Amino acid sequence: MKEGNKRKQVLGELKSSLTGYLFVGPQLILFILFIVYPVLEGFKMSLYRQTYTEDIFVGLENYKELFADPVFIKSVFNTIIFVVAIVFGLFVATTVYDKSAKYISFIRGSFYLPVMVSMVVMSMIWNFLLNPANGLISYLLGNVGVDDVNLLGSSTWVMPTIIFVTFVGNVGQSIILYIASMIGIPEDYFEAAEIDGATRWQRMTKILIPLVRPTTLYLVVINIIAVLKIFVVIQLLTGGGPNNSSVTMMYYLYQNAFIYNNTGVAAAVGVLMFVVALLLSIPQFKAFGNKK
Amino acid sequence: MKKKMLSSLLVLGVAGLVLSGCGTGDKKSSETAKGDKKAEEVEVWLTPQWKGVQSPTEEGADYDSFFKEAAKKYNEKNPNVKINVQVIPGEQRSDKLSVAAQTKTLPDIFFDSSFALSEYAHMGILTPLNDIVDEQSKKDIPQSIWDNVTINDNVYFYPFGHNPGTLAYNADMFKEVGLDKYIGEEHDIATWSVDDLTTILKTLKEKNPDVAPFGLFAKNNQGDTWNMSYMRMFGNPFFSKDGSIILNEESGEKALTYLNDIREKGYTTKGAESLTSNDVNAMFQNKQTAINFTNSVLFSGIQKDMEDGKVDKFDMRLANIPGEKQPISFTYVTSSVVFDTGDKERMETAKDFVKFYSTDAELVKASKNTLPVRESVSKEVATELPYLEAYNKNSDYVINFSNNTPGYAELRNAFFPELQAVFTGEKTPKEAVDNFTDQGNRIIETNKKKSVILK
Repeated sequence: MKEGNKRKQVLGELKSSLTGYLFVGPQLILFILFIVYPVLEGFKMSLYRQTYTEDIFVGLENYKELFADPVFIKSVFNTIIFVVAIVFGLFVATTVYDKSAKYISFIRGSFYLPVMVSMVVMSMIWNFLLNPANGLISYLLGNVGVDDVNLLGSSTWVMPTIIFVTFVGNVGQSIILYIASMIGIPEDYFEAAEIDGATRWQRMTKILIPLVRPTTLYLVVINIIAVLKIFVVIQLLTGGGPNNSSVTMMYYLYQNAFIYNNTGVAAAVGVLMFVVALLLSIPQFKAFGNKK
Repeated sequence: MKKKMLSSLLVLGVAGLVLSGCGTGDKKSSETAKGDKKAEEVEVWLTPQWKGVQSPTEEGADYDSFFKEAAKKYNEKNPNVKINVQVIPGEQRSDKLSVAAQTKTLPDIFFDSSFALSEYAHMGILTPLNDIVDEQSKKDIPQSIWDNVTINDNVYFYPFGHNPGTLAYNADMFKEVGLDKYIGEEHDIATWSVDDLTTILKTLKEKNPDVAPFGLFAKNNQGDTWNMSYMRMFGNPFFSKDGSIILNEESGEKALTYLNDIREKGYTTKGAESLTSNDVNAMFQNKQTAINFTNSVLFSGIQKDMEDGKVDKFDMRLANIPGEKQPISFTYVTSSVVFDTGDKERMETAKDFVKFYSTDAELVKASKNTLPVRESVSKEVATELPYLEAYNKNSDYVINFSNNTPGYAELRNAFFPELQAVFTGEKTPKEAVDNFTDQGNRIIETNKKKSVILK
């Protein structure tokens, strides 16, 4: 008797939750098909060497090959610098709040404009500007007597230059999101703080920053992932040069997958990028997430 | 909690079923007509070579015109065969073929420079073409070309035309600064010694400081055949007899030192480490450089642009890359490969089609758009090709620049960063050649292991 009741209960509950699962089902199937399965396949590929005729299981050989390659080590280093620089650059976005209304629209507009331009187009324009032989920047500098400036051809300056170009291209997105969430903070909080004698700095640190925390979390994670995937700028501006100074993990992956046909090694880079993204994102969730 | 798990598993199970349904790859069907085994569909890909069937002046001339015409002629005798032609941009070649190979959607035929496709021979996905090379073709095409397209006694690339690489120079600029004695005949290829080149560059720089005497570039691997040829200026053969790299010998270091010296003296384009061959080629056409890399197709392209008024006219002539012992010249052999798609009948049809357009008396004349590999065609079209004689005389200096080595694509990408390191002062020429030799030999070793045809 008890058994029958229990079974009925289970079936009943299953029925009631089935509707919900049916709703998420299609999305879940697509998610598994296009995200989970390729990820698992990538993990598997990284353990094989492929020669079109057969797949040979090589265990961790691809990973060993990676860590023996100084270019890969450099690409990891470059990627991390890139991520850190861009994420810290995000906080520039917070400075556009609370400015004189007279020119705020202009500032917002000019920051957002590059976001609307395709990254390919922007890279091509920068390429023309920075071309050492007949680019606009070298021409103008040449006219004022500064010769032989080649930012993309200097292993010291190439990364800062690419970071700057990328930053210009995507900071607008952060600005818009920050402003939207700042505008959403009720004015009463600030007025109350002002009456209680809070300084401007206190109002910033105690009210503004804590209340836009969810936006910060979102932007940091999204930007980390976006920067990990940076490819177009590098491909069009430097091709990873000079002397591999601007190779990032994504570019290294591309070279291995599509130029050298080392799919196993490329998959191994993909797995490591996945791990890096995870390692960089978890602390953010720990620091910002779940704080009510 | 348990029930939740149960329901999740249910959904996962459904997803799994959907997934397993995706596991069976679709193979392109080769059956087009009902029950007719001879009916095949052949996929031809090519990178842009020349426009039109025989000449770019034809109406509606495009890069696929030749193959469409070849298909039409082939269909007269083989009406059941459907031939699809697709033009692929050169810079997308490796990406597209890599994806196609991994997804089992390779074309049947690819028409391109043989060195760019040698990688695929080593991967074991090209089928040897020995059985479609007849005695007459063997005699008609010089041995140096056959050497270029043969790996391990197997012909993988059916030669159609070839495209020699040399230097081009602006003779007007030479005249302006009194360098007349270094100007060759109008349709000759001038041969300078290394000292001559130094004198020319020095004079040009002193008397015309606004122009970069020599177009140098090292941003990526495009045009690296010229950069690798400069490494041979002092007699370094680049590859040893056993196929390993020996650029670290004194002669290799000397060549890179020379190249770096002329750069430091301001005899080359500024910022070579971040200039592409395209940038430098544009500069030459804009009269911003005096000496430039060129091949026969680029050269006639610039000539045509001058005639059409797209480029200001100037007296443009050819020169060899100077060498201490003898000048250096190389040639890109444009050829066809047949991919091993596993479908025997299709491969046979593809081979048959390759043989057809590579031997048909009328169609092979189209090789005059590059240079004919066949002596019979050379004789026939000699009057239309003013530079043919000079190129033929030059054939003694032609090197097999890639040595058909496994991993050549990877070697190319290891080479230009070393040039960049020297040009930016990060490495001395010695360090660069040493490092490239070590890395290059590691690449060759790895790829020898991976090579299917060297086993």
